[in-house]
Amino acid sequence: MIHKKRGYFFVLDAALGIFVLAIGAFLIASLYINLPEPSQVGLLSDDFLDFLSDTQIKDLNNPYAGIGGQLWKEGSITNRDNSLLQQIGEFYSKGQYSLAEKFIQNVSANTVPSQFNYELWIDGQILYPRNPSPEEIASKSKTALMLTSKKITFGVANTTESSLWGPYKAEVFVWQK
Amino acid sequence: MAKISKKGIFFTFISLTIMAILIVIYTPQADITIQKDTRAERVRIESINNYVNGLENEFMITVMKATAQKTIVSLNLYVNKTQSSVKDFDAAFAEVMLNGTIDNAAIDSITGKKIMENNTVSNWTARFIEAGWDTYNVNTSIALGNVTASQATPWHVSLTLKMSLDVKSNLAEWKRDNVTLKTSIGIEGFHDPLYLMNARGSYSNRIKISEVEFNQWNITLAREHLKNGTYVHWQNSDGPSFIMRFSNTTTNSSCCGIESLVNPNMISPEDQIGSYVDYLFWNQTYISQCTQLYNITNPAAGNIGLWDEFRFFKLDIDHLTKYNITSEYAIRSC
Repeated sequence: MIHKKRGYFFVLDAALGIFVLAIGAFLIASLYINLPEPSQVGLLSDDFLDFLSDTQIKDLNNPYAGIGGQLWKEGSITNRDNSLLQQIGEFYSKGQYSLAEKFIQNVSANTVPSQFNYELWIDGQILYPRNPSPEEIASKSKTALMLTSKKITFGVANTTESSLWGPYKAEVFVWQK
Repeated sequence: MAKISKKGIFFTFISLTIMAILIVIYTPQADITIQKDTRAERVRIESINNYVNGLENEFMITVMKATAQKTIVSLNLYVNKTQSSVKDFDAAFAEVMLNGTIDNAAIDSITGKKIMENNTVSNWTARFIEAGWDTYNVNTSIALGNVTASQATPWHVSLTLKMSLDVKSNLAEWKRDNVTLKTSIGIEGFHDPLYLMNARGSYSNRIKISEVEFNQWNITLAREHLKNGTYVHWQNSDGPSFIMRFSNTTTNSSCCGIESLVNPNMISPEDQIGSYVDYLFWNQTYISQCTQLYNITNPAAGNIGLWDEFRFFKLDIDHLTKYNITSEYAIRSC
């Protein structure tokens, strides 16, 4: 009878050991899962700004902002070699802030995952969104992690007169909702 | 009752100790922190590297093209205003493009047009230095060297700018000494300074390139050429290049010489002794050689040539051949 009871203690001891190991493994695994989050957001802001600065109007397949699109037909976009960021800078230099906001909204649709909020500033002025909602303002102030990417943008305002605009600081802020 | 063995507790301690060691060794916090720091530094260095490359390969090239265009426009206005040639084109071009001055006087004040004000290479580099500090928190120094404008092809002006660059950040320093930047601009659309200074402002002609091939010329195409004021480049040309025209130099530039035909309806008097090929006309090459000139008409042969529209227009024998105007359309002017 005594020998049989000892067996229970060993089983209990082994179960306790497995429990401790399981808790430890869980803790380590959960640390690994949580930590990459900052770099993910960081990459998102870099990638978004790279997308804007590396994509040219002529390469954009977009009925609003691409070649032959609405803005092209209206004459608001004239330089097919402009990058999207340069086009935004050009709108800013001409004081066309509403057009810039709509342009950003259009070209960035589905580029940034919906669980993130983002802002685009040119030369220290917010162009997107020009009037942030109270929810966006609240999420920005409460977020634990917000990352930014910056670039300098410039361009030719008028090819006939060879006048330039810029150079402006373009800044993207991305944070989790 | 036998005493219960307490050996099990040792197993528990052993497992806890192993767990503690494993947690200490594999704790991700320390590892990730190093990665984060390394990544942050890598991203910053990449960003500044892109900034330096962008400055050298994109910004300065764009600025060179834009300011060179403005410089040529300003020099044309200068020629028109002063009715004099640019004595030393290379020096004047560099001075206007870098500083907006000519012989130490602001060119805008001479021409009366605000073109170079806040638009010189020096102005733009200063703006970029400020943007670099604002954006990347880096100290940028740019030492501008000499600027040259030359022609190796008839329709483009080649530009070179020497500069040294130093960018300092808290992580690294980028130093590039004696960098030579090269680009070019087309001359089409600019006024021809030869007309501006010789016609005393009464006749200007913009550079437009003729699309006629050298072996396709005939009297009809010559008429269009004259009417439209277009320019042509002949192989081993005897005419001056575009930039030579600023200093009223009419000697030949075999690589880059260009020429147009002077419209007799635009000058006074219309009838002058000279070949109406622009550089020959303005430097009066044939003023005492009327026997070598031909009116482009031949009433005896029943051909009016260009006389109906361009009365008194004359060409020398060499250009009669070049424009393929045959003898049935030409008679000696004297």
